[in-house]
Amino acid sequence: MTHSGNVNAPDEELAMHYAREFYGRRQESNRLWVVARDAIAELDDPDLLKPPFDRSFKKPGGYIIKHKLEAAKARAGSKGAA
Amino acid sequence: MAPLAEPPPSTTLDAPTREALAELLLAVADDEFVIGFWDSEWTGIAPMLEEDVATSSIAQDEIGHARALYELLAEVTDDDADRIAFGRGVDAYRHAALLNHARGDWAFTVARRFLYEHADAVRLEAFAHSSHEPLAGLATKMRREESYHLMHWDLWLRRLADGPGEARPRLEAGLARCLPDASSTFAPLAGEELLLKAGILTESLDALRGRWLERVTPLLSELGLPAPGTDAPDPDGRRRRSDDFAWLHGEFTMVSSSEEGALW
Repeated sequence: MTHSGNVNAPDEELAMHYAREFYGRRQESNRLWVVARDAIAELDDPDLLKPPFDRSFKKPGGYIIKHKLEAAKARAGSKGAA
Repeated sequence: MAPLAEPPPSTTLDAPTREALAELLLAVADDEFVIGFWDSEWTGIAPMLEEDVATSSIAQDEIGHARALYELLAEVTDDDADRIAFGRGVDAYRHAALLNHARGDWAFTVARRFLYEHADAVRLEAFAHSSHEPLAGLATKMRREESYHLMHWDLWLRRLADGPGEARPRLEAGLARCLPDASSTFAPLAGEELLLKAGILTESLDALRGRWLERVTPLLSELGLPAPGTDAPDPDGRRRRSDDFAWLHGEFTMVSSSEEGALW
């Protein structure tokens, strides 16, 4: 599910039509989900989204696994050859 | 030896029937072409940005349908689709008189669209069962786009009818202008008998008009709006041309007539 964008419409029925025109008329969509703005639950608390501590260990970039990966590949390769 | 290619279905028809088929295709193609051009006049000035995109996109769909129909016609008459679309004088167009009127205000557009889309839906349903397979195939494809058009204009009709302020009076005025020409989409064709005999048309235009009335009348009555009359359409309904249309013709032929025979 990807956020494609917004439309202005007086109600759900026209919102569907406009969503179809804006995000589907060039055959770029397989399915559209249209949700009224006030039906969207929002989470915007910075303490929850951008906590003050170092979070680099939660990102894949926080680990350098290149060498481990190479070693694992070599092991797998040698097994396959055996 | 390579197998012989199957001849195009139209060559198996006798000359008068082929002529009748050409007349039918031209009528429907011109309808889609002319409504497409009128509605493209809304691009940039529709009531709101979203509707601007929607109306313009629907107008483009109609031009696309016209193109497919002109190409089908060009096969039948051994002509060129672009020449048919842009190379005729004002009086040679065969669209319904309902489409003679200029774009008008938004309510007029909605009123006309409502009447036209239902007529188009009824005839496409019939064409889908045509013995002329290319027409049946094209109609089936067109219906997949037209069902959305129908939803869109039905929705707008209801909104304006129930709308506040000047919405309803304007819709009533728009309808009043459309109604005298509303049934012109089913105006008689010279070759109708031949089309029915060959199964190209599975039902008479009068029967189709009846089906159209059965659909639009309850929808309009429910909203307290006047419905089209049941009188037979003006036999000249596809030949009468207007000053409005002459102006539009000047617009849509402007580029093609600037350099005759140019490839573009």
